Amino acid sequence: MEFLNPTALLGFLALPLLLIPYLTKKRPRRLTFSSLILFTQSGTPTSRGPWGRIHLPPVFFLQLLLLTLLILALSEPVFSVRPTRIAIVLDNSASMQALEEGKTRLTLAQQKAESLTQELGSPGRVDIYTTTPRLQRVNAEPLATVQANRVIAGIKAYDLADAPIDYDQSLGALAHEQNYQRIYLMTDHPAGSQGAITRVISVGKARPNLAITAFDVRRSSIAATRLEASATISNFSSRDEKLRVALKANGTTLTSRDVITRAGNAATVVFEGFAAHPTYEVEIEGADALPLDNRRYAVAPASRNLRILAITPRPQAAASLKSIPGVTVDVVSPADYEKAVRRDYALEVFHFAAPATLPDNPSLFILPPERNSIVESGAPVGTVQVSSWREPHELTRYINFSLFRPTYARPLKPKTAGDIIIDSPNGPLAFALEHRGAHYLFLGFDPLPYLGRENLPMSIFTLNLLDWFLDSAGTKAQGTAEPIAFGTVEAGDTLVTPAGKKIALNGRATVFQDTYEQGLYEWRHGRETRWFARNLADEQESDLRTPSRIDLHDIVKAPGTSSAMFTFWPYLLIASLLLLFLEWFISPRMRRLMVRRRTVQPA
Amino acid sequence: MLTEPFTPEFLAQLEALRLRTRKEFLGSQTGSYSSPRRGTSLEFADYRRYAPGDDLRYLDWGIYARTDRLYIKVFREEVDLFAYIFIDASGSMAFPSPEQKFLPATYVALALSYVILANQDHVKLHLLQDSSGRASPFYRGRRRMTNCIEFATSASPAGLLQLGPSLGEHLKRLRRPGKAIVISDFLMPAASYQQGFNLLRAFNLDISAIQILSRVEVDPPFSRGRLALVDSETQREINYEWSDDSRREYQSRLAYHNLEIRSFCHQSGIHYSLYVTDRELSDFIFATLPATGLFK
Repeated sequence: MEFLNPTALLGFLALPLLLIPYLTKKRPRRLTFSSLILFTQSGTPTSRGPWGRIHLPPVFFLQLLLLTLLILALSEPVFSVRPTRIAIVLDNSASMQALEEGKTRLTLAQQKAESLTQELGSPGRVDIYTTTPRLQRVNAEPLATVQANRVIAGIKAYDLADAPIDYDQSLGALAHEQNYQRIYLMTDHPAGSQGAITRVISVGKARPNLAITAFDVRRSSIAATRLEASATISNFSSRDEKLRVALKANGTTLTSRDVITRAGNAATVVFEGFAAHPTYEVEIEGADALPLDNRRYAVAPASRNLRILAITPRPQAAASLKSIPGVTVDVVSPADYEKAVRRDYALEVFHFAAPATLPDNPSLFILPPERNSIVESGAPVGTVQVSSWREPHELTRYINFSLFRPTYARPLKPKTAGDIIIDSPNGPLAFALEHRGAHYLFLGFDPLPYLGRENLPMSIFTLNLLDWFLDSAGTKAQGTAEPIAFGTVEAGDTLVTPAGKKIALNGRATVFQDTYEQGLYEWRHGRETRWFARNLADEQESDLRTPSRIDLHDIVKAPGTSSAMFTFWPYLLIASLLLLFLEWFISPRMRRLMVRRRTVQPA
Repeated sequence: MLTEPFTPEFLAQLEALRLRTRKEFLGSQTGSYSSPRRGTSLEFADYRRYAPGDDLRYLDWGIYARTDRLYIKVFREEVDLFAYIFIDASGSMAFPSPEQKFLPATYVALALSYVILANQDHVKLHLLQDSSGRASPFYRGRRRMTNCIEFATSASPAGLLQLGPSLGEHLKRLRRPGKAIVISDFLMPAASYQQGFNLLRAFNLDISAIQILSRVEVDPPFSRGRLALVDSETQREINYEWSDDSRREYQSRLAYHNLEIRSFCHQSGIHYSLYVTDRELSDFIFATLPATGLFK
């Protein structure tokens, strides 16, 4: 016999409370009597203890039986038959790397999974599933016990957040489609109610944890030379913690800071004046429950020299960007765009022009022509009033929009989903989207020429957008599972993962999707090396105190399948209700009977 | 002014009664109780030889005719009675309330007092309380009934009673033998009341014992369960499991205790009667007490 809701069995611990009414009821009534001489001679004087002998009426035992049946019914007991076809779903999200007495939660789950397969015996067949990056089957064909154990042992945890899976629906559908007799979900989430076929087996306990939840290395602006780094340390515990945070590069500690994080809050530590390196790592010194989130990676911001390829019929306007320190601009006409070598440019500016397809490089589209495949433009408008803007946003910071008045605009009509950055009553004026890791910005007005102090709102906007594009050029760390866009890949290019695995890049594949490990990815492109940082991007994975509960319910049995369980808790519930009725019927009558017996005592 | 239950009808009925004694006492005045002395009553006692100076009216001429000797008829002297009524005024007499036990006890005492006073005999009330207690002066005549009531109702039951020592203190002040009536619940060890009765016997008193119990003591109305019972005199507390069985056992113990008292009284020539206070007082006075031989 098994219990689908074993938590309800804790109710048995509360059963002794049933005695309390009887104990309090039986606390001796203090009565004065003329003389105790006859009482000391006769009867049964009780002990002088606080409670004395407990006199329990038959109704007590009826109530005890009633409560026992009720608790048993709530714990949903089932008689189970040994299944032969099962599925084991292993949670391999980042939090499964948390340590439980020296072992990771994944190891504990694997051990439990192996013990489940052992119980199956030789006729049993097992399918193994993992939950991240999505719920997917690991094996192609159903496995025997030994093979299944081998597969289970080979499963690694990814540095990814929990996939957004509705386990109740997904596992139910899985059981329905694959005719599983039982599905076990091995996870570090606590189990709520269990289904008849789908079961949650929980590993690990709630634990305090410290985590670096953000790390960024940047220049304060495009023209700045000094680097600064900031790391956010979150304290997922119930007490304040003092810790040391070290900034490292190439395995060497550059600097470190002591920081105090309040319980349940986050603290930010800022590093300045450190040496330039291509990559950086920030680390919490000391050990806690989840080592994964004790370090985080970032790539140094690109050189302050920003190479821009301007595609415009008005070269003078685009060339005005050269007045910005660190910016170099090469101008080509729209007709020569296809011939240009675009690989080395960090930004392509299409000024009154548009390519046939979305470029691989980050691109700025200024007033694109009417007939293009990327974005449509509306009717021209004279002086445009800005009605709203995204705030906070890197593109709109420091801008006084009451002074931001483009003299000519054509509101945009985006064809794809993205962010509207600046809006007007006639339509969006600035529209941003991110595709394959690259930033694209569409403007319905012309910020060029760059006039510096003579047009401050527009100049600030221009500097903002250059910063924004600079960030997109691989300097900002991104979350795991976010793809790496290479732009142009040549034969012989390789990608080295944080685990040291070398992947030869196919010339066609310009994007690497499987960034499931936290760390630094190295793209070796000829003689050039570019770095990409990927970090765990979900604070929920680091918060090991209160993971969400997984509730599973009975699913509709697939026709033709036999359940591995016989549920009989409804019968217990009916029996307990009958007892309740009996107790309600008997109790007052017994009380009356006793009163009557007492009153008819002979004098 | 007498109140309930001492109505004129009740008093009239009491006047018809007269205490009975098993012993002869030396009275102080002429009365209606026989004395060991020879006197001038109508009750013949004996003959004795004539001596010069004897009253010739008492010569038995019949004996002289047959034996030719002179004999004088001797008659018993009839004297008045000295009665002592001892009322238990200990704490146990206040249970469950003075109105349910002590007051009925004083009514019994007062009824007996009235019987004595109506016969022009002497009555003295004693309150048994702690080791000593108060005692009234001797009262004689109906008009002293008011004094009796005042004395009896002025008492309030309290304290611990040890019957032997308490009676001993009262007996030290007694000079005349007579009738002793002890009114108590006798809820005490047998040795205690036996010691008390023996003391009274040693003083050559004719003894009557009236046991007073309330209905609550005969059939305790406790509901089943655990009780912390407190002794009204000693304040001793015991925990007690009250059940139907223990109720039966208590009642059999009480019956045995009363039987012991009755048996001792019977062996010692003491009138014994039991008065459960929920019974009518007149019923007890006019039916039970005459049946036990307390009244002539």
